[in-house]
Amino acid sequence: MIANPVSYVFSCLFVVLAHGAMLVNVFINGSYTGMGTIVLLASAVFILDIAYFIAMPFFRQSSYSVDFLLILILNMSVIFQSSFGGIHFAVKHYITVIAALIACRFGYILCRSHNGIQSRRKQIYIVILILFAVIFTLTGSRSMWISFGSVSIQPSEFIKPLFVLACATSVTEQQKKHKILCFNVVYENIALFGLMVMIFVVQWWCRDLGSLPTFIGIYICGFLLRICYPRAKFSKKTFVAAGIVLLATAVAAFMYAPSYVQDRLHVDIWSDTDGSGYQQSRALIGIANGGWFGVGPGHGRLCEVFAHDNDIVFATVCEEWGLLYALMMICVILITLAIPLINSPRSYFHGTIAAGVCAAFTVQMALNIFGSCNMIPFTGVTIPFISTGGSSMAVSGFMTGMLIAGQSPDLGERHGTTKKLPSGGRRVH
Amino acid sequence: MKSIRRCQRVISIVILFFIVGMAGLVIKIQRESPYYMMNSDSHELGKVYDRNGEVLFDGTSGDTGTEKKPDNYFIDIGNLIGDDKGQMTNTLVARNIEKLNNYSFSGGLVADGGNAAIYTTLDHKANRAVYDAFCGNKGCAVAYNYKTGEILICTSLPSIDVNMGYADIDSLESGTLISKVMYRTVPGSTQKVSTVIAALEILGADRLFAKSYTCTGKYTNKNGDVIDCHEIYGHGEMTLQQAVEKSCNPYFAQLIEDSDISLDDLMEVYEKLGYALNGDEVDYIDIDGIDCEKASTTLTDSGDFQTQWGCIGQGDTLVSPMQLMMWQSAIANGSGKMTMPYLISKVTDVKGKVTEEGEKEFSKRLFSAETARVVKQILLTNGTNNYETLISGYRLGIKSGTAQVSHGEKENSLLTGFVNDAELPIAFCVVLEDRNSTQLKPEQIVKVMLDSLSKK
Repeated sequence: MIANPVSYVFSCLFVVLAHGAMLVNVFINGSYTGMGTIVLLASAVFILDIAYFIAMPFFRQSSYSVDFLLILILNMSVIFQSSFGGIHFAVKHYITVIAALIACRFGYILCRSHNGIQSRRKQIYIVILILFAVIFTLTGSRSMWISFGSVSIQPSEFIKPLFVLACATSVTEQQKKHKILCFNVVYENIALFGLMVMIFVVQWWCRDLGSLPTFIGIYICGFLLRICYPRAKFSKKTFVAAGIVLLATAVAAFMYAPSYVQDRLHVDIWSDTDGSGYQQSRALIGIANGGWFGVGPGHGRLCEVFAHDNDIVFATVCEEWGLLYALMMICVILITLAIPLINSPRSYFHGTIAAGVCAAFTVQMALNIFGSCNMIPFTGVTIPFISTGGSSMAVSGFMTGMLIAGQSPDLGERHGTTKKLPSGGRRVH
Repeated sequence: MKSIRRCQRVISIVILFFIVGMAGLVIKIQRESPYYMMNSDSHELGKVYDRNGEVLFDGTSGDTGTEKKPDNYFIDIGNLIGDDKGQMTNTLVARNIEKLNNYSFSGGLVADGGNAAIYTTLDHKANRAVYDAFCGNKGCAVAYNYKTGEILICTSLPSIDVNMGYADIDSLESGTLISKVMYRTVPGSTQKVSTVIAALEILGADRLFAKSYTCTGKYTNKNGDVIDCHEIYGHGEMTLQQAVEKSCNPYFAQLIEDSDISLDDLMEVYEKLGYALNGDEVDYIDIDGIDCEKASTTLTDSGDFQTQWGCIGQGDTLVSPMQLMMWQSAIANGSGKMTMPYLISKVTDVKGKVTEEGEKEFSKRLFSAETARVVKQILLTNGTNNYETLISGYRLGIKSGTAQVSHGEKENSLLTGFVNDAELPIAFCVVLEDRNSTQLKPEQIVKVMLDSLSKK
């Protein structure tokens, strides 16, 4: 099942060693009361590592690079979350990590076949519309969240992978142009634009525009790749016009943004460190306190700040583990997203998916990191894989599965539907 | 494959943008982290030294071997150097607290052995001598080297020894927590130096010296208001030199009213000197972060009492002792440009590396070199004729002033001037409050000041 077992084993060892090194750091520098917690944490991490290594070969893929990176970052995240404010085992986060791994497999299976997903195009739109309806009707008091006792779900998170799929499936429709008045129109583009407007309306209605840039990022990537699609035959004029419209929209958005958004654009965090600038100022102080190498796992003080484990998680990691470690953590996510540059996606459809996922993750990371560090307005979105949150974690896992699908042989290949494997990918038969 | 490369390009661009942003973030954190730490609950401060290496402020929490000084040892610099307690905001420590931060991003907070420090230009021994010379009277004194700009003495009474804490803060006298050197006061006749400068700039020396006015003890101006002279029987006919030496109010009222001196020209010179006129917003001079108020006055009509009274140094005119001293530097150095004062000679970071050094700087030209030369001569003549015995041993250019304050109930004495000596290039200003309540004279304080600085 595995083309190069030696490479596979060494990759497994690398991941285990990386986690082991982190756990040694926890053991030496961490703040804990008894060894039991560390043993429990280490056991959980290594068991998950090994279980995933055993399960992976059952899925037929050209490359397992993304899988190794995924398990590496997820268990890093478990160790991070288990050290905030004193070493403990973050059970809830661990469960969401398992959910992410399962969601990843679902994403992989669903998106493996281009034709399969293309034929379900309408269903994608229907599910998105259902999610809109759920948000409008079930969240209550104009919120993004649905609560079931102690568990909360954020339905808007699930729109992200569906929106990526909608953008990707629209690519092949670009040649189907229809003459309306004097314009050549692709119905799919109008539908996507309508979807984008709907997303904006939903976010505005929920008074939470935090995720809007993520959707805009996905939309722009999708739009660019629709324009660049060889059969789309977009003119340069269209490209320029789209640029002007985008610019005008951005200007209008800044000018007519709601007052709470405007306030965030102009907030001086240091003049109100106990009010609107509380989280950001604490986050920056935490980063400064951590320096390059951190104060040690569990020794940080950011754990006393609200949303230390999601909205300002980068700063919390910086404080306890140091800026170097936090940068390494970001590097792992970036390398995961950059894998399609090394192992080329097997089709333009999968390339569009990869670009959409890349846009979604990087915009989210940028909003979280730059927002908490006062470089841009603070929006309170999560860092994929690192922040707590079941919805975010499951969706991140699902979208990673979509990435993996792009580097894996189509099921139909075996039956002759596709002749070639992507260059850079390895045959795994 | 060509089409898939387009997808890869889009991915590359997105990742590249993010990496650029992250690089910016790392640079921002590197540069600003000391500031962040200063806003945290825990920070480690360094020390402030005088020019001879004596510790003026010790912010270190560990045992650094700093010798324990007796109570009130630092009272002479308490409201200038200040501390990090937040009770005084316009002090050297409060305004430069980041520079004292014993922190680096790579090393974190350093409780013991950090070398973050501010080395000041102050001479604590001389400063203390001047403080003691006030004998408990209120007032302030400032002196600096008008060639280099180094502030050597800057004391203000009443003051506080910050090492003794603020337990009795409610019983502190008004003005204890500020250095009065930096704040405006009524300048009295020291203002006449500015008026002389203005007249010289407008008329030139020959025309001004050719003019003389008669003082009969009172002068009724064009609007019918009376300007009194301190000499009730009058000074008789006076030239400029005599008027300066006698500080004759009617002479200066008539000078302002003179048709050869237009109000617009007068205002122009005053604005160049740095006055905020007729209710304009008062600006500040930045002295190593410490705000020093700039002068202000009212100039609305040459024949108006308020304008004339302002040019004499009463009425709405307010000038800080620091600025009075700085004008003296522009006269003393003969350039018409002020030597900009500074308190910080150098700053070292946590590792002891020098990160900042004080430098000699001059203001833009306030008046011509010729005006500076003439005014210098006038003040030196005044010094020779009237202060040679009181402040013996120094070649002084000097102008005194008596300022009515508290609605005329009290009078402050002022002396501002310079030493015309290449070996002791000192400009100074001394304010002694409520002069009638004490036998002390500002000349005595100036004498102590110059003796301390010249180590006599």
